[in-house]
Amino acid sequence: MPGVSSDSARGALVPLSPESPAAAVYPLRHGLKSPISRLSISWSRGNSLRVSVFAAPSSDGSVNDGDGGKVVEVKLGGGDGEISEAHWRRMAYGSVSPFALLQSRKNAVSSLSKMSMNSSPYDGDWWDYIMEYSKDINALLVNQKSASVPVLDDPKSFITKGEEPTSLKATWELLEMFYAEKPSHSWLPERLVDWLADYDSLFSGTHPTVHSKLVDFQKELVNLQVVEDDPKYWEVMSSALAVGWLNIVVKMLRLHGSYRLDQLSNRETENGLVEAVAVLISKMPRMRLEHEAGKLGECYKAKPDFVKAWEKWRGQINKLDSSAFWFQCAHQQTREGLRSMLQIMLGNANSLCSATYNWIELYISHFLYMRPLTVGLESMYSLAQKSIQLKPMASAHRLMGLIIGILGENTEVVLAECLKGFGPWMVAHAIELLTAGSDHAEMLLHEERQNLGGISIEELHRLVYAQVLSSFPLTWQIAPIYLISCMKHGMVLLQILLSKQPVQDNQLLLKSIEICRLYELHSVTSNIMKIAGVHHWKHGRKGSGVFWLQQARDEYRLNRIALQLFDSVGKTISDESFKQWEGLIQLLGSDSKTAGGLEFLHKYRDFKKSLRQIHDGKATDSARQAVESLISLMKNPSTPQRFWLPLLYDSLKLLNWKERPLLNVSQTNLLLNKLQELSMARLRPDFIESELPPQALNSVRLALGTNLGRAILEE
Amino acid sequence: MAFAESQNPLRVYRIPQSRYIDAVRWLSPVSPSDRFAAIAYFDADTNSPSIEIAYVDPNPQSSSPTLTPQSSWTSPSRISSLRTAHSTPQPLLAAATFSGSLHILASDLINGGVMESEATVSQLGFHSGPVSAVDLREGGIECVSVGEDGRVNLVSFVGDSSKLNYRRIFDSNGLVGYTAVKWASPSEFATGGYGFGIQWWDQRTPGGPVLQFKGNWCQGKTSGIVHSIDIHPSRKHTCLAGGSSGTVFAWDRRAAQQPIVLSGAGTGEAPNSLLSESEVWEVQYDRYTRRLNIGNISSTRILPVMICSEDGILAVIEQGEEPLELLAEPCAINSFDIDRQNPSNVICSLEWESLAILTRS
Repeated sequence: MPGVSSDSARGALVPLSPESPAAAVYPLRHGLKSPISRLSISWSRGNSLRVSVFAAPSSDGSVNDGDGGKVVEVKLGGGDGEISEAHWRRMAYGSVSPFALLQSRKNAVSSLSKMSMNSSPYDGDWWDYIMEYSKDINALLVNQKSASVPVLDDPKSFITKGEEPTSLKATWELLEMFYAEKPSHSWLPERLVDWLADYDSLFSGTHPTVHSKLVDFQKELVNLQVVEDDPKYWEVMSSALAVGWLNIVVKMLRLHGSYRLDQLSNRETENGLVEAVAVLISKMPRMRLEHEAGKLGECYKAKPDFVKAWEKWRGQINKLDSSAFWFQCAHQQTREGLRSMLQIMLGNANSLCSATYNWIELYISHFLYMRPLTVGLESMYSLAQKSIQLKPMASAHRLMGLIIGILGENTEVVLAECLKGFGPWMVAHAIELLTAGSDHAEMLLHEERQNLGGISIEELHRLVYAQVLSSFPLTWQIAPIYLISCMKHGMVLLQILLSKQPVQDNQLLLKSIEICRLYELHSVTSNIMKIAGVHHWKHGRKGSGVFWLQQARDEYRLNRIALQLFDSVGKTISDESFKQWEGLIQLLGSDSKTAGGLEFLHKYRDFKKSLRQIHDGKATDSARQAVESLISLMKNPSTPQRFWLPLLYDSLKLLNWKERPLLNVSQTNLLLNKLQELSMARLRPDFIESELPPQALNSVRLALGTNLGRAILEE
Repeated sequence: MAFAESQNPLRVYRIPQSRYIDAVRWLSPVSPSDRFAAIAYFDADTNSPSIEIAYVDPNPQSSSPTLTPQSSWTSPSRISSLRTAHSTPQPLLAAATFSGSLHILASDLINGGVMESEATVSQLGFHSGPVSAVDLREGGIECVSVGEDGRVNLVSFVGDSSKLNYRRIFDSNGLVGYTAVKWASPSEFATGGYGFGIQWWDQRTPGGPVLQFKGNWCQGKTSGIVHSIDIHPSRKHTCLAGGSSGTVFAWDRRAAQQPIVLSGAGTGEAPNSLLSESEVWEVQYDRYTRRLNIGNISSTRILPVMICSEDGILAVIEQGEEPLELLAEPCAINSFDIDRQNPSNVICSLEWESLAILTRS
């Protein structure tokens, strides 16, 4: 998508950051030996380019191997590698149902709120719907490659490897906690703590993190004999404590050498201090609903209870900090390490700052140990600003930008970050959350804008996503779901999309027609059928061509086709080829409306059939039938003129019927008139002469004359 | 409409494949506990079509079935039709492609499911354009292929020659296109095409179809295409067909030109409710029946039928009864197959790049 201008006044939709990666170079392997004379580049399916390379013709006119040209496809980009294309498609498929369900519920809610004026649309089940949607989408983001969980609990491993975290899921969970969960924002800080515990490793790629330090230390642990002598041990534990990973800290504390049975007796005080800190950590009061089973800390739902417990807990820490046992602890690292951990628990700003590695970690530590009662986005935002000042960073991770956008209640930034980081799928689906509870965001995103051609931002992003879906052969079928949710341009784009689908393959064609049927796009249906009909016809599949044109009720083209068919009829309807025609004639049916000019074929077949039966010897009755067919053919205006003479010539036997004249006077007159008309027509320049012997006309005229005489006599 | 869950327990497992599935078939197992399936894939990322034999483990520890690929064969073009012949331990597969070739593959299920291309027909004159349907005769020495180009070809193979010989049974020069085919007996088969037409062929009477079931019987209503035909070995006089507009009908050759409509177009005031309004991609007689003996069912009564449709329905239809819906997916079900040996197992391919395995009990 071209986001060109940095000047937002000129209506740039997607700001293109100047530090975006330099031009990518894709080598082409076309294998042509001759110099290239011409290149043609066009879009292929998805994000592939089709490059046609034409070689210059060799100067001496000789033909060499490798002359001519080659067509190669170049796949551009490839995402950020975090998620494979197949996984993207799986997400696209999976998000169709939740999206469609939410749309229909939204429509129901809005029509309901129109009926009863006073009720707000966000009442009742609304938040359940939003949450259900969010959870459904979230479930799609689970990476399929889930790591195996070790069966045995290794006492020395403190980092458990669960499923591989992705920025995509991290983003969705952020959006979910801020926008979809029923706005009881008092739990937000604790939700952020959990979030960081899950996704801290995502920042490791670009920044040092607590997680990466832990992983490094975990690797070194195998080679360490006396763990507490290593300053890193204490460093890493303080860091983990600062971001609230209590289970890990307690588990690491228990690795302390003083727990070993052979040392317990002479390091009793030291061990007592370690254990006291461990107990304090595991008793940390948390202001939250509840913990996952096995997580340390004590939960308080009500603020007064929490404050009471918090004060008591800090009192215990202070008491331990000022106790006399520290002087009896001989091991210096243990003493210093434990006391710095106590400082973290007491919320010492400097300790927190030095224990964390980036502003988000610092931010989280402030929630945990300094301001556990922070409520409201405004104060959360100012705290974030403060953390950034304390730990400024050269380059921001995409998730950090997103967090700032969310906390600053800056919907545009959130959208831009989603788009930049994760593309149209994310934006199209995240907008549902952004508009869920915020009137401001809803106004912003639903307002129709002149610079967007009169559509809203929401519609724009849905259209963009639908466009992406449309460009892939496997996902175009789900684009209609998104297009019909676009009030302004959706229907038109849907019609264009359907009209552009290939018609060669019946299965694909029928899938397009099925979508047309669902959205009652009858004119598109008939257009597609016409295109398919002509395509099949051109490729020699006459039956298929006729069928589709009949379905489209396209008399004009059926008549045109009829003319071509008659050419081959004149030549090929011999007895042996009759079986080939049989099927087509049956397909045409007897309903002249849908057959167009082809109705003639039907009658012609009947005529030929009865003529043949005369040969078989079932004389007079068949002859009578043949005469009837002949007369009705000659009467019918859809019988082409050039068939008149061949028809009459074929019927010579009937005209010269031995036993008695088969045609009465008026019938004979009709045929004579036709013959006269034909003679006149022959004078016209556009007359097509039939391939009959030259005396055909005369012999017919003679036979008719004779028959007329006999008929008059008989009457 | 009756839902299966309420009547008898049904377990459904959806297995994402990350590739489009053009066709899926069960292979006859070597031992009663084994399950093998042949799956025709199309990988849109690399633009490569292939057929894979997969071992289907119905009940591993993780409680949902798993597919273990055994072997793979790369096809020159996408698969338009795939059939299997039930011979053990080397089941044969006939695969027709959109580029107009036919491939006979043999898979050795005992030795790890290795698949080999036995023979190929890809001569220029075989079919012009895609082969729309193929059927392999039971016992597997002959194969019939049809296309919209109006050609009906008989391919016989006797083992060793890698170039197959084919015999043109009929060529309508495109005046009639065929979209489905099914063997009825060693010498007879049925084809289906546009306008809900069915043709009955007998090799002993060459030169064209022996009997034609006229299309356009649903006068005035929209006509359609037959996508799939099935013929029950014990009811060779009846052709079962499924096609456009949710239409499932049977043609009893003894009863002239009147179809027995089981669902869809032309039902009018028929008692059975409309199951689906879109394309019925495949029909098969459902051999999994609660009744003890199909011999007890009158020969004019149509046996239970399973269908799958573009609007995501997999259902069992019984004449004069409410259809039993087994699956209602948000996307199309493009093909399915019922396990011959154990008809409670059904495998089907979904439009959104996944397979579903159903176990009825």
